[in-house]
Amino acid sequence: MNIFLQVVINGILFGTMYGVAAIGLSVIFGTMRIIFLAQGTMIVLFAYLVYWLWRLVGLDPYLSALIVVPISFAVGIGLFYLLFKKASALEDRNVSLLLAVGLMYMVDNLLLKAFSANPRYVKTDYGSLTFHLGGINISFVRLMALVIALIAAAAVYWFLKRTLLGTSVRAASVDMEATRLLGINSYWVAAVSFAIGIALAGTAGVVMASVYSFDPNYGFTFAIKALIVLALGGIGNVWGALTAGLLLGVIESLATYYVGAGWSDAISYAVFIMVLIFLPQGLFGARTVIKKV
Amino acid sequence: MKSITAPIRSLSRKEQVSWLLAVVLVTALALLPMVVNVDVSYVGYYIFLTCLYLTIAQGWNLVGGYAGQISLGQNAFFGLGAYATAGMWVHGIGLYFFFDFAIMIVAGVIPALVAVVIGIPLLSRLRGDYFAFGTLGFSMIILVLFLKGGKLTGGAFGVRLDSSVFNGMLIYYWVSLTVAVLCTLAVYFIGRSRIGLALRAIREDEISAASHGINVLKYKVIAFAIGAAMAGVAGSIYAYYLFDVKPDDVFSMDWLFYPILIVVLGGTGSVFGPVVGAFIVSALFAYGDVYFAGYQTIIAGFLILIVMLFMPEGIYGLVLKAPRLWHRSPALADGSGGPADQA
Amino acid sequence: MANQLLEVTDLSAAYGDVRALSGTSLSVEAGAIVALVGANGAGKSTLLRAISGQLTRTSGSITFAGIEIKKHTMKQRVELGIVQVPEGRRLFPDLTIYENLRLGATLREPRSHMRESLERVYGLFPVLRDRQNGKAGLLSGGEQQMLAIGRALMAQPRLVMIDEASLGLSPKLTRQIFELIGVLNEQGTTVLLVEQNIHMALKLCSKAYVIQNGRVIMSGSGEDLLADADVCKAYLGQRGSRIA
Repeated sequence: MNIFLQVVINGILFGTMYGVAAIGLSVIFGTMRIIFLAQGTMIVLFAYLVYWLWRLVGLDPYLSALIVVPISFAVGIGLFYLLFKKASALEDRNVSLLLAVGLMYMVDNLLLKAFSANPRYVKTDYGSLTFHLGGINISFVRLMALVIALIAAAAVYWFLKRTLLGTSVRAASVDMEATRLLGINSYWVAAVSFAIGIALAGTAGVVMASVYSFDPNYGFTFAIKALIVLALGGIGNVWGALTAGLLLGVIESLATYYVGAGWSDAISYAVFIMVLIFLPQGLFGARTVIKKV
Repeated sequence: MKSITAPIRSLSRKEQVSWLLAVVLVTALALLPMVVNVDVSYVGYYIFLTCLYLTIAQGWNLVGGYAGQISLGQNAFFGLGAYATAGMWVHGIGLYFFFDFAIMIVAGVIPALVAVVIGIPLLSRLRGDYFAFGTLGFSMIILVLFLKGGKLTGGAFGVRLDSSVFNGMLIYYWVSLTVAVLCTLAVYFIGRSRIGLALRAIREDEISAASHGINVLKYKVIAFAIGAAMAGVAGSIYAYYLFDVKPDDVFSMDWLFYPILIVVLGGTGSVFGPVVGAFIVSALFAYGDVYFAGYQTIIAGFLILIVMLFMPEGIYGLVLKAPRLWHRSPALADGSGGPADQA
Repeated sequence: MANQLLEVTDLSAAYGDVRALSGTSLSVEAGAIVALVGANGAGKSTLLRAISGQLTRTSGSITFAGIEIKKHTMKQRVELGIVQVPEGRRLFPDLTIYENLRLGATLREPRSHMRESLERVYGLFPVLRDRQNGKAGLLSGGEQQMLAIGRALMAQPRLVMIDEASLGLSPKLTRQIFELIGVLNEQGTTVLLVEQNIHMALKLCSKAYVIQNGRVIMSGSGEDLLADADVCKAYLGQRGSRIA
């Protein structure tokens, strides 16, 4: 029983990254109506940023979050105006999708070329700090990951519900044309949404760098996992996305332990297909990823 | 004589010129080995590779360009074709193993069947980008299945074929060229057929097409399956070339990405676009190794961004003002005069 | 003609090959209620879209308070005081009534007067105040129309353009809404009304334009048009200006 709980707890803690990434995808989807395929790549990119800040300057990952997250937000704004603004004006999703594919491919290979495929890992003094609670081991850094994820989700939720700009984002993701009629600058709203998504990728990147080893090849699979989480949790539901992320983490953790390493991915994809076919509205009945044709 | 020239004369001037150029190009390529020793020179390899990419690309164009459904699973179909070929060879199925046309056809049919099986649920439920992601998820599952296949698929080590039959680059050059031409022609005629018309209608306005009695799902699945078949045949040729079918190699994203690049670079919605795109991409390879080795993939990704930003209709599309892959905001059919918004 | 708030001169627009507007002209005096009536597809909505900025590929001119606005962005037009209540209302159903209203006042000027605008809207439509924290999607048709108009009012408009206010509403509700529009106008807001319900529109307005196939074929005061035999025959049925 202890082992089971340990596996579950580990899964929850790992799933936080999925959850944070999925919230980002959800926000981006709301206004741009595409699944931003390059999300995983962005996470790895910012993980590298955290890594190099640590390696070159000795900056602690949690401290560098104060730099990395704002930077990632700015990168998001820049990427939107550089790449996606025109496509969003055309309301052309295929263009945006292919832009994301191109971006992913280019950055993935850039990272590979620049930093090679060697796994990177940030070593800190507290890296191996572990709490023992009733027979279960909880690593400090993984717990911090959960804390960060909760803070991030709360921040996004607060932003969406309580600020005028956030309300505009929510409105734009329902009916962008109507917001334009009210004089709202829809490009700016879309840019902010996108930037929030990228900032969440930055957050996930901090988590990734502080807890796990990573290499450029992670980006791609990560994006798919984030999409699975999105399908599970439903669009437009911040806490749903986070919960679904934790859930997927648990599923993978259980699969790895009881079935075998390497099968967890297949099981996750199988879950995805199941959701597509049997539960398109997701676990929480929110607006669905799937649109019936 | 009239029955031959009539169909030719019925083409538009641009199409006539395009066909002329295409025929010239193919002839030149066919005769190239007489000038250049393809066994030794890298040119032969690049053209071989490009023909494979073009084969996949024309198939992708059918489902992604004509029908507007972007599929991200071509590399899975490619790999399936490669494994099917290797599997049949190793188990003695087929006529004469090496470059067995029967095997190659089966290597195309199997991915097509798989495409039908997964296509029906995916295409009936998912639109646009979700379908794309669905195909992506599917290709990931396939990769894992083959990696974990153990004795059945050779796991991470794949399947080794008897390479003693290797006899030089020439046959690969010509086979890949022939298959690329055949697939181009196939897509061309499909495009002009009722199927092509239905696909275009679906791309423009699915609901309207459905209300006119077009079985949207059926045509989407057909296009998807044909695309899968072409990718599978390309995979088969590759298996014959490499003699060593490994999952990391035959399921590589390159087999997905370069064909997409070829199509969007050249232009969707017609068969000539990908030909133009293939030309450019093969030049990228050829010069790539000389001037910027190891950066080809980065440049390829960058190229997609540039094309999508500045000429989404592709190079040939600019020439032909081809029907676009992309939908316009429905209220404005003339493609401009959209909402006035500031930066 | 000099102090017209809105002047549309010789406006033409096309969707691809389809000509939606051919040389239409109209003018709206400050403080008036002007009705634009005509059958479905006559070009009424196109005209509104050109004025609000959703459609920019047009020839001709549109001036507002003397300023040529054809090159203005949608946001700039709202800043000038042109606000549209779109056809079908286009509310945000998952947002609360309060949030919907608040979004009407995102621009700087209206934002600083949000409290007053809110009071004004609640004064006009008390039912909205009662339900202000409820989701907009749960409102009835009439209430949704009120909310849509209220949302437009939050932007402190000089000109409110209402597209098909009567859509989906019963005759009684339509009368109610039109009365409220009248009150709105009395409070000083200029109104441009696009309507299929020709009878009520003509009764309410001071001036009206009849548009058909993208052209203005008739104009005059509401009363004159109501009495006009041709209008009656074409749009109101043979029995004339009585409520059918």
